[in-house]
Amino acid sequence: MYADYAYLIVALPVLAFLLCLFVGWHLPRGGGFLTVLATFAGLILSLGIFSEIYPDKIIHQSMPWFANFNVGILIDPLALVMLLMVTFVVTLIHIYANGYMNGDPGAARYFAEAALFTASMLGLIFADNLLQLFIFWELVGLCSYLLIGFWYRKPSAAAAAKKAFLTTRVGDVLFLAGIILLYNNLANLNLALKPGEYLLQFPVIYANLAQIAPDQLTLIALGLLGGAVGKSGQFPLHVWLPDAMEGPTTVSAMIHAATMVTAGVYLVARMFPLFYAAPHGLTAVAAVGAFTALFAATMGLTSFDIKRVLAFSTVSQLGFMMAGLGVGAAVGTFAVGVSIFHLIGHSFFKALLFLCAGSVIHAVNTNDMREMGGVGKYMKWTMYTMLIGSLSLAGFPLFTGFFSKDEIIVIAYEYGTLINFLPYIFLVLAAVLTAIYTFRMWFSVFTGKERSDYGKHESPWVMLGPLVILAVFALGFGYVAQEDFYSYLDSNFKHYDLDFVELGVIGGHALEEHVAPAAEGEPVAAKGEHEAAAGEGEAGGEEGPGEPWYIQILPIIVAIGGILTAMLFYWDKVKKFDPSQVTGDKDPIRKLLLKGYYQHEIMTGWFAETVVYGTALICNTIDIKLVDGWLNWLSALVLGFAQHVRKVQTGIVQNYVTALVLGVVVLVVVITLAKEVGLV
Amino acid sequence: MEFSHYAPLWGEALLTILAVLVVLLGSLMKNSGKLMGYLSAAGLVAALALVASNLTIKPTLFFFDTISVDALSQFFKVVFLVVSLLVVIASMSKYTGKGADEYFALLLFATVGMMVVSSSVDIITLFVGFELASLSTYALAAFDRSRKNLEAAMKYFIFGSVASAFMLFGFSLLYGMAGSTHLVDIAAASLANFGPATLVALLFVIVGFGFKMALVPFHMWAPDTYEGAPPLVSALLAAGSKKMGFVAAFRVILIALVALRMEWYMAFAILAALTMTLGNLAACWQNNVRRILAYSSIAQAGYIAIAFVVVGAAYGAMPVNVLNMGPIRADQLGIAGALLLILGHALMKTGAFIGTALVSSNVSKESETDPDDISNYAGLAKRAPITAFCMLIFMFALAGIPPTAGYIGKFVLFSSAIYSGLVWLAVLAILNSALSLVYYLRIISYMYLKEAAGPKIKEQKGYVVALVLTLLAVVWIGVFPEAFINWAMQAAAVLLPQ
Repeated sequence: MYADYAYLIVALPVLAFLLCLFVGWHLPRGGGFLTVLATFAGLILSLGIFSEIYPDKIIHQSMPWFANFNVGILIDPLALVMLLMVTFVVTLIHIYANGYMNGDPGAARYFAEAALFTASMLGLIFADNLLQLFIFWELVGLCSYLLIGFWYRKPSAAAAAKKAFLTTRVGDVLFLAGIILLYNNLANLNLALKPGEYLLQFPVIYANLAQIAPDQLTLIALGLLGGAVGKSGQFPLHVWLPDAMEGPTTVSAMIHAATMVTAGVYLVARMFPLFYAAPHGLTAVAAVGAFTALFAATMGLTSFDIKRVLAFSTVSQLGFMMAGLGVGAAVGTFAVGVSIFHLIGHSFFKALLFLCAGSVIHAVNTNDMREMGGVGKYMKWTMYTMLIGSLSLAGFPLFTGFFSKDEIIVIAYEYGTLINFLPYIFLVLAAVLTAIYTFRMWFSVFTGKERSDYGKHESPWVMLGPLVILAVFALGFGYVAQEDFYSYLDSNFKHYDLDFVELGVIGGHALEEHVAPAAEGEPVAAKGEHEAAAGEGEAGGEEGPGEPWYIQILPIIVAIGGILTAMLFYWDKVKKFDPSQVTGDKDPIRKLLLKGYYQHEIMTGWFAETVVYGTALICNTIDIKLVDGWLNWLSALVLGFAQHVRKVQTGIVQNYVTALVLGVVVLVVVITLAKEVGLV
Repeated sequence: MEFSHYAPLWGEALLTILAVLVVLLGSLMKNSGKLMGYLSAAGLVAALALVASNLTIKPTLFFFDTISVDALSQFFKVVFLVVSLLVVIASMSKYTGKGADEYFALLLFATVGMMVVSSSVDIITLFVGFELASLSTYALAAFDRSRKNLEAAMKYFIFGSVASAFMLFGFSLLYGMAGSTHLVDIAAASLANFGPATLVALLFVIVGFGFKMALVPFHMWAPDTYEGAPPLVSALLAAGSKKMGFVAAFRVILIALVALRMEWYMAFAILAALTMTLGNLAACWQNNVRRILAYSSIAQAGYIAIAFVVVGAAYGAMPVNVLNMGPIRADQLGIAGALLLILGHALMKTGAFIGTALVSSNVSKESETDPDDISNYAGLAKRAPITAFCMLIFMFALAGIPPTAGYIGKFVLFSSAIYSGLVWLAVLAILNSALSLVYYLRIISYMYLKEAAGPKIKEQKGYVVALVLTLLAVVWIGVFPEAFINWAMQAAAVLLPQ
């Protein structure tokens, strides 16, 4: 029953968008309650659908659009958990925003854009084909542009919005190229599609992956990865994410922590079979993810802006998720469960952290941690909820982040034993840094002396309520849900006509692992392809406990060690060291980190302003002199000719009839001549 | 023969009776303008329903095989009825007083004439229908009796008479050769070679239809008439009666003169290329919006004429897998594309002209200059937001930007040109589409980027209803084109041997 109304999950926020846009000005608080209600209805529907299809059904509805494209809804385990997470987290953030945006003259615009964003994100999740996903993907990008630039009169906000839009655009172009390549390859297969099947539908893509040439698969995978790298802020397209903190904090929480940036990870998870089948596809994902995880964590260490710390942390955690998918080369579809579990858990505690940060900023009116200190005295609720979020982010045992992040590290170890240890080393280092920068932030905000004269009051309950709810999830979700979650997500690709053994052979990885067990007992054919595919995922899952004990507890040591380190440096009660003892203003490494690896200098200063701008200048000259030159000449010619054409129209009817007769004569002559010559 | 046998023709019958009734009632009653408007609109809706109930009927012949009701005739009847209906709805805000009965009656007669043409498979009935529609529109073009109206109508009439003379001359030659006025008989006879006379007959027929279609060089009346006639009549001319030329040409040239395929292939290749290029070029320099629209509709006629070239090139060719729609014949696809563009253009042009009608009827009081001058459109987005927005969409649609009806038509048509090996023509058409943006964007930039030229305009109800309906149709076709493409493919099949 709920499944029949699945479309409402997107339709209601669209309605809320229209209402807020057109009549929001006349409603209290800009009509924010509409956005909350629409998203909440989406949550109820998602829960209803969950109760209907859990644990072994999927929903697939589709209708033709034009040519061989369709619009449709596909809710499988992967989409369902994303739907639940997005509707839940975004509902809480919308509620919080009702307090946070209260009094802003643009509140109606904010809630309209936020509703549109919600609709786009949800549409992206349950799209049943790649084209529809791309359309919503672009809409999400548009909303992010609008929301980052929400305070568009502020030059830095406008610049940040532009930067986000342009940077993600680089990824989007690659994504589109990947879609076109994929479409072309599928079209060339001349598939006999059954009624209701369309080329870019996910089930159709999955079923026909094995027929596409491996080198094409790699190209497609790299294109799609490009899109994911842009949207999920992976190196080298991560530069927009820290700047995107110019928007309202609710936007940062909603878009740049919990939902939009996860779209890239979701895309890779959704297309996991393709990445799995593409030679080097997952290697690229693992490399990008692991590098980003460490790279961003180091920058989080030195930033003084509380939101930027969180932004770098988001980039880093997204790197973890990407790496988690990438190491799927070793453990198969189990990696999807692990990575998405971290995605969900992360969205809880990162939304919580951002909202806490928003609560702090709301009170003290600054983002700079150097001007805070001792805030905990005045904001008890915020302090403790943020502590839960921080512990979770740091991976403290029994918190959500512990279960999700550590599993990624463990499977990265497995990847290491089979293929390459680099991702594992990067991830462990990143985990140490995560614990350190998180608690550096927490201690310097909430403990110690007041370093400036800031506003001292707790936030209203409309803001604290969501914090408490999110804190409960950041605390308990991982413990409660882990096992069921893994097995549920692991079943995701069993709903489709997929053979991971065959795909693995095409992808050229993990051959020994998957082919060998099948060949052990009976011949492969006797065992049945589906069983082999099904068995492989479980095998990956069971391998977890088989790791050496020190690998199992290393993440715990790392997390606690990191927190203790931060404590010794930043908590005034047990402070043993001063940061200046380790590093000073002259320290080149510190300078390097503070400057963000000179990315701005390299990418904007050198690459953009010298190389690109220089090339652009040369191109510009060529363009003006040569291309425009002849174009101008052409257009002058065309328009000049056009002016003559106009003069034919004398307004005298005799001339008109003469033209008519002349036309007939010319046609007779031309056609007769053409026939004589043999042209026709 | 019983009454129900003629059920597929009830629409025409209803409109004829209604037209006579409107004239009679109009002379008996005073101040009946409003009532006549509603009556005509109701009649057109009823006729539309009657036609729609036989939308994809198998070809059925009536009246000694002179009238055929088939998918093609129904397609065009729907186009004509929709255009007339939109014009009537818009007219209800303008023609309310004395003389309105005559206006609506003429409009209904013109519609009946166009419907008859779309069903004719005999050159005599075709000519009668053609003249019924022409004569009614000659009178309509002069309806407001201003100097400009009279000049426009006069030019239209003189040019139309000459073209009719050519057409009739061509018909008489065909009859002389075939000994029959029936299209199928002419088709059989023209397979035998009658020497140069056949070529002359063909070209004379092309002149007759080319005048209505406004193909260069038979187009010269069109800008003057579209500019000078009452704007709503221009809508009818550009969107309705122009399309009558196409359906007549489809039937006579593709069916009756199929033996001269090579000749008309050549002729239409020249005409189509000339028409779209000159139409677009001339539009660039105009300052009168209605003249721009006139040239734009000449250019669109050039695009539509590509269908003839495609059929000439790919007649009876083997089906190929086109656009992943399964095996499709390129010639059928070409005609389907032309039909889609005809449908789309009919809607977009009606909408655009209704927009100009609204503007000119409102600014003519305040403005000394030509009410259709583009300067009156400055800041229209502020002065008349609904009209400006609708015009914006129509301009985009005319330029062929997705997702609009204009895009779908062009897309299918140009693809068919490529599939039948006419890449040069497709490239020329696409270049022309790019060129056309010059003047469409110019109108848009006036409406949206310039300071308002005056205070807010009152947007009358009739105009707004017609504009919004048209807008919805244009976007609907663009977003859900599948059903329309299938329909057009069915209609196109009527013209081609199976």
